[in-house]
Amino acid sequence: MADLGLRQKLFGPSRHWLLVPVLSVLAALAICFVAIWLTGKDPVQGYAKMFGGGLGSLRALGDTSLKTSILTLTGLSVALAFSVGLFNIGAEGQLVVGALVAAWLGHAFAPGTALIHIPIILIAAALAGAGWASIAAWLKVRRGVHEVISTIMLNWIAIHLVESWLVVGPLAARSTQSQVSLPGTAQIEATAELPRLMGEINLGLPLALGMAVALFVLLKWTTAGFELRAIGASSEAARASGIDVARRTYLAMALAGACAGLAGAILILGVHRQYPAIFHGGYGFDGIAISLIGGNHPLGALLAAAFFGIIRAGGTKLQLLQIHRTFPELIQGLALLLVAAQMITRHLLTKVAGRAPQGKEAIDA
Amino acid sequence: MLELIEAILASTLDFAPSIVLAALGGVISERSGVVNLGLEGMMRLGAFFAAAATLATGSPWIGLGAGMLAGAVGALLHGWLCIRWRSDQVVSGIALNLVALGGVTFLVEALYGSTDTERTATIGKLVLPGLDSVPLLRALSGHSWLAWIALAAPIVMHLVLYRTALGLRVLAVGEKPQAAATLGVSVAGIRYGCVLASGLLAGLGGASLSVSTLDQFNNHMPAGQGFIALAAMVFGKWTPLGAFGASAFFAAANALRISLASSIPWIKDVIPSGFLLALPYLLTLLLLAGFVGKARAPAADGVPYDPEVR
Amino acid sequence: MPALSFSHVSKFFGPMAALADVSLEIERGEIFALVGENGAGKTTLMNVAYGLYRPDSGTVRVFDRDEVIGSPGKAIELGVGMVHQHFMLVPPLTVAENVVLGSEPRRFGMLDRQAACDKVREVAARFGFELDPTAKVEQIGVGMQQRVEIVKALYRGAELLILDEPTANLTPQEADDLYRVVRGLSAAGKTVIFISHKLREVLSVAHRVGVMRRGRLVATVRAAETNAAALSELMVGRAVAGMTRSPSARKAGAALLSLDKVSALNDRGFPALRELSLEVREGEILAIAGVDGNGQAELAELVTGLRQATAGAIRAAGDEMTGQSPRAFREAGIAHVPADRQQRGLCLPMRVDENLALGRHRKPPFARGALIDGSGRLERAGSLIKEFDIRPPEPSLLARALSGGNQQKVILAREIDSAPKVLVVVQPTRGLDIGAISLVHDRLRRERDAGRGILLISLDLDEVLALADRILVLYGGRSMGEVSGEGADEKALGRMMLGQSSSEPARSEVANG
Repeated sequence: MADLGLRQKLFGPSRHWLLVPVLSVLAALAICFVAIWLTGKDPVQGYAKMFGGGLGSLRALGDTSLKTSILTLTGLSVALAFSVGLFNIGAEGQLVVGALVAAWLGHAFAPGTALIHIPIILIAAALAGAGWASIAAWLKVRRGVHEVISTIMLNWIAIHLVESWLVVGPLAARSTQSQVSLPGTAQIEATAELPRLMGEINLGLPLALGMAVALFVLLKWTTAGFELRAIGASSEAARASGIDVARRTYLAMALAGACAGLAGAILILGVHRQYPAIFHGGYGFDGIAISLIGGNHPLGALLAAAFFGIIRAGGTKLQLLQIHRTFPELIQGLALLLVAAQMITRHLLTKVAGRAPQGKEAIDA
Repeated sequence: MLELIEAILASTLDFAPSIVLAALGGVISERSGVVNLGLEGMMRLGAFFAAAATLATGSPWIGLGAGMLAGAVGALLHGWLCIRWRSDQVVSGIALNLVALGGVTFLVEALYGSTDTERTATIGKLVLPGLDSVPLLRALSGHSWLAWIALAAPIVMHLVLYRTALGLRVLAVGEKPQAAATLGVSVAGIRYGCVLASGLLAGLGGASLSVSTLDQFNNHMPAGQGFIALAAMVFGKWTPLGAFGASAFFAAANALRISLASSIPWIKDVIPSGFLLALPYLLTLLLLAGFVGKARAPAADGVPYDPEVR
Repeated sequence: MPALSFSHVSKFFGPMAALADVSLEIERGEIFALVGENGAGKTTLMNVAYGLYRPDSGTVRVFDRDEVIGSPGKAIELGVGMVHQHFMLVPPLTVAENVVLGSEPRRFGMLDRQAACDKVREVAARFGFELDPTAKVEQIGVGMQQRVEIVKALYRGAELLILDEPTANLTPQEADDLYRVVRGLSAAGKTVIFISHKLREVLSVAHRVGVMRRGRLVATVRAAETNAAALSELMVGRAVAGMTRSPSARKAGAALLSLDKVSALNDRGFPALRELSLEVREGEILAIAGVDGNGQAELAELVTGLRQATAGAIRAAGDEMTGQSPRAFREAGIAHVPADRQQRGLCLPMRVDENLALGRHRKPPFARGALIDGSGRLERAGSLIKEFDIRPPEPSLLARALSGGNQQKVILAREIDSAPKVLVVVQPTRGLDIGAISLVHDRLRRERDAGRGILLISLDLDEVLALADRILVLYGGRSMGEVSGEGADEKALGRMMLGQSSSEPARSEVANG
């Protein structure tokens, strides 16, 4: 696959980077509104339930905070790779690897106190995700393998090896008496369970928030971040200016993998408490949508994750209307499709406003 | 041993069509220069609409047609974004997958009140008389018509790509669209055609899951087969026969997994099924890294064509 | 009947007249050369004839047909063929496939490869050259690829062939072969127009020469009745401001950068530099002259750490630099103004002040420790913008929004401000307007006078002659020798650039005689 240079033009800095994503999300909401209406159900009630289900109670906020933190971290994973111009489709695999390490350390290692146990698990899961992502970086730097294909392959390798081998084989829980293995890994120790603020709010939320801010600061205010952005803008110019492009590519992919690995750890420590036999994956792929809808900006990803975290937590309430609880994912997919179609949005804006913000450049590009 | 080989051959013929057809869809699209990561989504559309149309009309053949049409609609959307609007092809493909995932779930729930459809009629099986008693060859008998379509399609595509003027134009557009354009070849026309063909094939591949391999649509479909097809396309070095070979090999690995599990239970401890499932992706990765041969994508694959850039 | 006639043709790009009232008639069977400096309008005029551009006023007629050439398709139909400077070939396809693409011979609905091959052999034979129709284009040389382009046009029935800078990427032998083909075409009654800025080749091949300057056709002369000096005067039309020499104010000092028998490969793995030795000294401009593709690009990369040598040693002020990283080269005081300013010189999607910091972004005033110093950067950017007159004077603008000349000023400002010992400058004025050119030249002289060593790599011989204290001619990756910039003989340089030592006569003259 050839180098996809257009992406840099599409998602490069722009004063109006929020406009297209916001319009895309609104249009996706509108399309889905009509879809519900067409099936003879009440879309107003549906949307009320969806948003209410995500914000209405402390319990709802707990679920929202969890989903937001996972989506933020996988979104950051994708956004960070974008900063050096790489498309990380591999957040899913990195998440799976991180989750597995978290589940394993959660029961195989018992230091007796959460103050030691949790940080060690989080760091190990982040390192595992970073390691898995570094394979793609190595393939890119040393072997010239396009990261889009390699990360897709690495996703499925991780998923199959973990879920069809490790979790059902060597790492499967064994019942105490017999040698019969049970589905999923063993339950994690109590010291590994993520504490909840106010009884419901998952500790993952402050963690994800902190990561978003930290990565924003990294990219905007540090020389290392400057180098990452320079590589994303033109790796050729970055190399000529003395930046070690290979080293920075490893850094960006490793950080990307670390974010996804952390997301996996939070899912295990905060929700499943084991690596279950049937793991509801897909969050890694969601990260692509979150990052692009958030303009590939760390804080943009945070905003997008918060919005979709709310409606996805509220999705369960849609079942009262016989609408599948994954309906918010359709909204998210449509919003991504509309972001992909942003040339059309900009074109229409040009027609409406006479001139689009930054529009001419984008259409000419 | 002979029985095991027969069992693997037979179940390869049952599993392969969906992957072969989708992989060919990937080949034709990317040969013309449009990256297609939306195969999974197009297969899902094909699988659902084939089942729905079969349920509505009672004819699985009409179902196949509807599945192809649904795949084609998804492909045309992808093509329109990528060709007319020069959108990012990777993003567009992924978005299509997500929309197909959520959209079909919503539709199944809305139409059937469940995550699966009811049972449908299926495509007939072709029994080859006289082969029933021939060892080995008898494994060829009794498979869906789709198995034979999937055997013929790669040969047809190979002939079109490498033996016709149209094929020459497709190859030229995928390698260097500017050169083709200066000779009066319509780059957009060729690309739309190829993306459309890709949707028809992936839709057919998806349809084969719901009205041939199984007799209903269930919400897991196509369960990552679009990505196996993508791996097969790469592993087959972007050629129809190569993609066919890779698809058949991956399907055989899957057949091996299932046959082994039933015929030699202890083998699961020696070769965990996860290894066999991961094998297609691992091999593809090794190929790309240059450890086993070399693969090269068409030069203009993924690059939007801008007539003003020379 | 003229093969091609332009009547009062004008073409504007924005307010700029790319073509101003051009009238010209080219006869059937003629070999016509169009010469002029970069940006004089040669290619624009030919693109009008080929239907790629439409003239804003005036008319173009091909073989006296009263038809508008609205597209390349129409041009082909009317018998016009064009060979672009950058070949329009599909590398993995065969020669025959490339030739017939778009109008393929068919048999029973299938592509008739045999007929395609026969046709290619036949066309080539008719004009007296050879071409293997079954070879893949990616496996044949540049000279052969050009023949494929010519056969492509002839296969489509071209009577008039336009060649855009056909020898730019050819070796002298390949160029000679091309001239033979061109003469053969003319003898067979075809009309050939070729664009060039190499006067010697023009004089040896063309019947008539048209000279363009700033969008106007300033003269049309018979090749037999003119000479290189007269043509270049017509091309330039002025004693070029900024192209005048101003020799070094002081004597060159110690060696700041030296290459000792350095060899290197190009991207395709073939030898690009062979045992090249040179020295850049304090307070002098060493210019590298040569025809494009003789190792200049590789040399620039070699002395900035972007390419590794396969043999020999590179030293910066005595320090061994062989095998070091680009960063080490920068830290040793070697700055780089690259030829490709948009890809390699700038990060176009980043701000002007960020681009001014690039490469020194780890040091004050651009950084404090590991953090970026935004206000320090803005302050320095502001003063550089003022000093180098970068317009518009707005550090927060994206580099992409600047004109080519101002983009070059950003790069120059950054590289000079890093206070290097050696400045490696590649093609510094390509595509710039005259004002910007003299500004760049003045600045380079000032930096030399301030004691820096400057390695100027330029394809523009006039630029080399205007700036150089010493000139080294590169041919086939080897040094053909050095001459002093003062009083350098252009003719002798030209011969060296063609691979002959300065005393032998040039090959093209022999070929012509």
